[in-house]
Amino acid sequence: MVIEITVRNAENGSTLNMEVEPHTTIEDIIEGAAEFWQKEAGAYVLRRGKRLLKGQSTVQDAELKNKDVLELIPDPEGG
Amino acid sequence: MVHARPNDKWDRSRRIDWLDVNALRRARCLVVGAGAIGNETVKNLALSGIGHITVIDMDSVELSNMNRCLFFRARDEGKPKTDVVAQGARELVPESEIRALNGVVEETEIDWNSYDVVLGCLDNIKARLHVNAHCRYHRVPYVDAGTDGMRAKLQVVLEDGPCIQCTMNNSHYRVMERRFSCTGGDFSYYEPPMAAEITTTAVIAALQVREVLKILSGKENACIHNVMFYDGFSNDLLELEVEIDEKCPNH
Repeated sequence: MVIEITVRNAENGSTLNMEVEPHTTIEDIIEGAAEFWQKEAGAYVLRRGKRLLKGQSTVQDAELKNKDVLELIPDPEGG
Repeated sequence: MVHARPNDKWDRSRRIDWLDVNALRRARCLVVGAGAIGNETVKNLALSGIGHITVIDMDSVELSNMNRCLFFRARDEGKPKTDVVAQGARELVPESEIRALNGVVEETEIDWNSYDVVLGCLDNIKARLHVNAHCRYHRVPYVDAGTDGMRAKLQVVLEDGPCIQCTMNNSHYRVMERRFSCTGGDFSYYEPPMAAEITTTAVIAALQVREVLKILSGKENACIHNVMFYDGFSNDLLELEVEIDEKCPNH
């Protein structure tokens, strides 16, 4: 069943609504959101509440629900 | 009551009840990376009284490093970063042993078991994964810090918890060989220099070394067991729960 989620951009607060399926992976969501916001190639993670979501897990594995709000966070890799 | 010991440099540190200064004096730490975070981290370790510090890096000092690197001076341009950092730390704390290893961490033979804690101050994912894997294999605690402009992150890798690789996804692997360095030069995967400034670096390096002090003082239970993200503009400090990834090769 398709559900609708909202992804928030941690860098500027803007949001994006996405329709996802149970087999959609967290990596797919990261990629879709990064592409939508035309982000530079870089490392990103996705969180729901206080939990960092595993990249390879699916919407079903992560137990995402309709209307969930996720946040896309840049993962700083500089030294 | 603790009486003042005027001849003891760490007298004030000994007044923090959980801090085991004697253990810190015996401790051996490896700092991987002598850039902005590495400078701050080595300074913090040295002043905290860590008795044996080794710092490894492959780079030389450049002028563009000097907005955020405590130990670098204009006269140091072209010198190996490790030599300059080690010399600066020795001047701060002559009683401690500070060693410099000039080389690429992936190509350097390191006796991982000889260290009590390893600190990651790196600028690329490939090296982070290398250090993370060795620390996991040798069961050496690994405390990793990273920055990007006003943002930073910190993760403590302990024997029973998730590791750096557990938090990564395809977006990391796509840029794995890229160096997120502020200098950007002399590397086959050249990328434009990234934003970097001292205040965010100083905050995350302080948090990083504080976690090391907990580990060395036998207070691992008080360490961050997840991953911490810091936004230096809003001052938000966000700790996110991370699980061990069952597909991670390090577990």
